[in-house]
Amino acid sequence: MNAPDRNLHVKAPGVSELARIVRVNEEIKAIVSTAFRINLMALNAIFLAKRAGNAALGFGVLSNELRRFAQELTRHMATLRDMTSGSVGSVTGVVQQQRTSAILAEAIRLSGDSVPGVREARRRGATRLAEQQACLRSLDQRLRSAVEETQQLVELGGVLARSAKIEAAYGGTFSPALMQVSTDFAEVIAQIKRSLEILGKERLVKD
Amino acid sequence: MKQAHCIYQEDDHRWLAIARDATKPGYIIDTNEYVVVNGDEALLCDPGGMEIFPAVFSALSAECDPTRLAGIFSSHQDPDIISSLALWLEFKPDLKCYTSWLWQSFLPHFGGQDSTFIPIPDPGMTIRLGGLELQAIPAHYLHSSGNFHLYDPKAKILFSGDVGAALLPADHNGLFVEDFSRHIRHAEAFHKRWMGSDRAKRDWCERVSRMEIDMLVPQHGAIYQGADVQRFINWFAALEVGVLRG
Repeated sequence: MNAPDRNLHVKAPGVSELARIVRVNEEIKAIVSTAFRINLMALNAIFLAKRAGNAALGFGVLSNELRRFAQELTRHMATLRDMTSGSVGSVTGVVQQQRTSAILAEAIRLSGDSVPGVREARRRGATRLAEQQACLRSLDQRLRSAVEETQQLVELGGVLARSAKIEAAYGGTFSPALMQVSTDFAEVIAQIKRSLEILGKERLVKD
Repeated sequence: MKQAHCIYQEDDHRWLAIARDATKPGYIIDTNEYVVVNGDEALLCDPGGMEIFPAVFSALSAECDPTRLAGIFSSHQDPDIISSLALWLEFKPDLKCYTSWLWQSFLPHFGGQDSTFIPIPDPGMTIRLGGLELQAIPAHYLHSSGNFHLYDPKAKILFSGDVGAALLPADHNGLFVEDFSRHIRHAEAFHKRWMGSDRAKRDWCERVSRMEIDMLVPQHGAIYQGADVQRFINWFAALEVGVLRG
């Protein structure tokens, strides 16, 4: 008979998967909060453009577009958030199955492979784990596609912010104020881009 | 490491005790598991916690074909009793788990689904195993509010869950109680603190005194046999329970 592992510290490989979901969620929360800021900034920019009158007509149009962009970004992030909340259930299933399979494997190691029923039990566990991992992988792919779509949207936001900067130069006496607002837009959008890049690199399952 | 010891055998009717694991990690309470085998079927009493599953499975497999397990008897809901449930079901998904109706919706947190559980009503029930008729004996509030012991009238063995438990030092590793007075010192504090109802205790002692019992097998500590069974019941009847200290 094999020597028993008296301290059954079965490795819990799923812990890192859960940690990844937490990181993804944190990044989504950061983007959602930034999108909310853009929305407020765009509202202020619309008022500022109105005060500037004809000199800031173009800036006003762009501010409206940036506001719409912020609202669209919030919708995208809500979808991403729903996907990650759903993935917590899938990851937990994988974690439980991995732990169960690992303890059963230790029991089989101690008892020997010839004990009736153990091979079938191991096969059933492996099948269930493979199904759960496949489900998680599909969720991961959908999450990646959704992040890519959001990145394209943010590219558009970047173009709007750059155009706003150009329009600000024609703002007459309001030009410095409009320039400041458009610079703020550009910085915030750059921040969202960085967050999305991090999000794009996260994987719910290891390749 | 845990080993299965045959404590009763008549033809193909056996009781196995998987007891007294001196090598387990000290931070986990030591537990005894019992297997009733009759013909082609086996019933595992209080299978233990998740952490000790490999040791229990291995010990059981050494003495009996684990695919013959038909059911699990869970005296109550504690983790050291039944937290390994999901693992036993992983091995044998059609296992039935007999437990108090009170815990029927709590135990699925450890594993299993609706069809896994056979609820035992408060007055108890008969559990058939091969040709045997085992009796689930009410032991409510000793210590759990939904608690059962398992009596085998043929073998005259009463599996008594936490009643009769003793937290023995590592060097007291005998399977059976050898010196009742020395042994019972290690059971006193446990029973005073864990057994919450004096009324339930007196009721249990009265009922159990009328039963024919050759062995009283608890979930922790050594097994009482022969005259020590009645000695224990008398000691328990006189013990003040439900006290924090003293």
